[in-house]
Amino acid sequence: MIIAVQFWSYFADFAGCKKTEIEIENGTTLAKLHERVCEQFPKLAEAKNSTLKAVGVNYQDDEFMLSDGDEVSFFPPVQGG
Amino acid sequence: MKTELTISIDAIDEAALVKRREIGDGMGAVVCFSGVVRGREGDASITAIDYEAHEEMARHQFGLIFDAIEQRWPVDSVRVVHRLGLVPVNEPSLWVEVTAAHRAEAFAACQFLIEEMKQKVPIWKKPLPA
Repeated sequence: MIIAVQFWSYFADFAGCKKTEIEIENGTTLAKLHERVCEQFPKLAEAKNSTLKAVGVNYQDDEFMLSDGDEVSFFPPVQGG
Repeated sequence: MKTELTISIDAIDEAALVKRREIGDGMGAVVCFSGVVRGREGDASITAIDYEAHEEMARHQFGLIFDAIEQRWPVDSVRVVHRLGLVPVNEPSLWVEVTAAHRAEAFAACQFLIEEMKQKVPIWKKPLPA
């Protein structure tokens, strides 16, 4: 299945793009997708421990099971205000 | 509880926001907060901050914060404006208003909203060096 992935703030600079699509197997967790992303975009691996992850408009934890069509966002700590 | 959220590249017009204020019966407290871009970021002088947001998610996360406020305090209304794009030094990037019957819940809810926003609402800033 295909997952749409978006990078925000300086993570887009690290990845060299704002969005991409990644094909994963059924039963893939958010953590596994994150590992795939870090392999594909090694600069993002440097910020792996501080990465925030969301599916759609909600934060999700590492065990979240992805579904076809999910839109996943990876981004650094937020800084509003 | 009435809520109003504006996320926009437009400058925050505090006078216009205050003019549109509606105070419900029995409300005795209005707490307003303006977050203004400082001229320094760490040790460096800056001219502006460029704000970026995951806007759809930001709106949802602000909604969750409004829900949490409503469950926790007897607040009558919350209005929030967050500016995106380039915000020059000395101009507000954030404006929050809370109205309630008494000051304690108005101050507490305002502080809570800002703290939660800084943890959960996907907005980022890029300072522009002087």
